[in-house]
Amino acid sequence: MKHKISSLSELQVSALREIVNIGVGNAVTSLSKMIETGVKIEVPDFKVELIENVPEVLGGAANVVSGVIMQVAGDVDGYIIMMLPEDAAQTICQIITNEDNVDILTPLNQSILEEVGHILAGSYVSSLSDFLGLNIKISTPMQTFDMLGAIIDQILIEMSQKVEHALLFDTMFILQGNRTDGFFLTMFDPDSMDKILDRIDKMI
Amino acid sequence: MIIVGMADSAVAKKPAKLTTLGLGSCVGISLYDKSTGVGGMVHIMLPSIENARAKDNIAKFADTGIPALLDEMTEKGAYKHRTTAKIAGGASMFSFNSNAQLNIGERNIAATKEALKQLKIPIVAEDTGQNYGRTIVLDTENGELTVKSALKGIKVY
Repeated sequence: MKHKISSLSELQVSALREIVNIGVGNAVTSLSKMIETGVKIEVPDFKVELIENVPEVLGGAANVVSGVIMQVAGDVDGYIIMMLPEDAAQTICQIITNEDNVDILTPLNQSILEEVGHILAGSYVSSLSDFLGLNIKISTPMQTFDMLGAIIDQILIEMSQKVEHALLFDTMFILQGNRTDGFFLTMFDPDSMDKILDRIDKMI
Repeated sequence: MIIVGMADSAVAKKPAKLTTLGLGSCVGISLYDKSTGVGGMVHIMLPSIENARAKDNIAKFADTGIPALLDEMTEKGAYKHRTTAKIAGGASMFSFNSNAQLNIGERNIAATKEALKQLKIPIVAEDTGQNYGRTIVLDTENGELTVKSALKGIKVY
């Protein structure tokens, strides 16, 4: 890639962070409306990591989470992954179904989580699209409840064929009152990062 | 417990335990020589170093990581002709409709078997494929490989 991710300027980094922040902010507003519960987000963390280290950086490969993965396509390629610990996934399903002690593994709840991920990623991506003036689309979501390492290794494998480092934007969001959190992870293909940075350079 | 990361390997002598966490499409290979209690584990991500752009880390690839692991074990006293293998992982977690990723899990398993065949190391147990993640633990005391999953329970090989 043209832009070296290990030597981005401070201005580029803060612009990237801001864009992701706005996107996730929009997504979380959608979530908040959907579940009628306040949701807070933290300023996105921007990291450049060796691909091999990504599972550890995200909290450990053995950590069991509910993951919704969507492929990003259009002018840029990449993946958006929403990860929720079991209690957060359960909270969301309980609020939506209006039932107590739900089992997140039933087909109904799996598709609820899938749809929640899809709606969030949709509003995130449309905000990125508008801001950058790029056409960005997402695939249908795929949901699974498994070990974090297993959920993301297919994506990391794909990236490791092209680059040694992955750019991670991870944003924690906190469901108020439940003290539970989840995160959004965005990874772009190196060529796509070039396109995004070119757009940013034109703006700043 | 010695933790073997992604694209990483380690060798240990009994009574140590070696583990690698959350294998999806990656494959975990454990080698063991019962006569000396030397065990090794590698967590590979890709079948071959051949077409890779970054070749720095040989533990990332089946065709380089497995021979390197065996070499390290023999340096630490293991006998090659007494070493056996147990393998796990190579799942297909998601099937995206792009053809870019022609079932990487299956390709990793095939490359692992080919590398072991070339080294004449017999595979005595295998827990591979399907669509779920696995964590494996090798006990160098007896060569047992424990395979744990989030929803499918624990199996000992």
